[in-house]
Amino acid sequence: MIPVSHFLALGAVLFAIGVLGVVIRRNAIIVLMSIELMLNAANLTLLAFGRARHDAHFHALAFLVIAVAAAEAAVGLAIVVGIFRNRHAANLDELTLMKR
Amino acid sequence: MSNQIAFWCCAVLVVIGALLTITRRNTISAVMALVLTFFALAAVYTLLSAHFLAVVQVLVYAGAIMTLFVFVVMVLNREEQEPWALRGIVTKAVGLGALGYLMMRMAGFLFTRTAARLEAPPADWGGVHNVGELLFTDYLFPFEAISLTLLVAVIGAVVVARMPHPHAQQAANSAPEQEHAE
Repeated sequence: MIPVSHFLALGAVLFAIGVLGVVIRRNAIIVLMSIELMLNAANLTLLAFGRARHDAHFHALAFLVIAVAAAEAAVGLAIVVGIFRNRHAANLDELTLMKR
Repeated sequence: MSNQIAFWCCAVLVVIGALLTITRRNTISAVMALVLTFFALAAVYTLLSAHFLAVVQVLVYAGAIMTLFVFVVMVLNREEQEPWALRGIVTKAVGLGALGYLMMRMAGFLFTRTAARLEAPPADWGGVHNVGELLFTDYLFPFEAISLTLLVAVIGAVVVARMPHPHAQQAANSAPEQEHAE
């Protein structure tokens, strides 16, 4: 069988890639996708611990995380579309209205 | 042994898909790489005997959420001149340093402890029956609350992203007059 630490390491790598995506990209859609990657890494970690402890409560928690991620994606993409309609920018570095 | 091979194949696919997602200049390629990542993650969930979550992953993530992303990419069809953010490099370097430190500590923890061996779970553990029963008994209130959250999110998304109607302003102006006339 595969040890739990392998799944945890995969989750950590996935989370790191998600953080990298948020930090180095300036396209709002790619940043949202990187956030989805991080949420998936958290889910993978939850399920690995659930498997180690034989506890199905972790599965219910991961299910709720997926539902929240869906809501977050819908609202985030709607905000991106709204900003694009008003300011014609999907580039995060151009959105400095609140800095001035 | 076959489990090991399956895990390594899926893990490599997950990492390659994630790396492609954050490096592609074309947004549609990034979305497709993310779909690949989600399918491979569903396979990893199956290896963890989380069969219900694997199905939900494919249906909700690879199905619904990625369709949403594709539609938004279609609406915002714009080429990027410079996809890499180089402004604010100091704070980002600090963040990446912190991330590297976290990864180092985690790797140290994961590889110095002896790996816990997994015993086989009971039959139907993590299946639809098991998780569904839990969701409708212990987690009934969070389950209903999350459905309300989704409803609010959908209404909010529609309100935020709605195209302003060209005659909305005129209608708003003429509405009081109509009321007055009646």
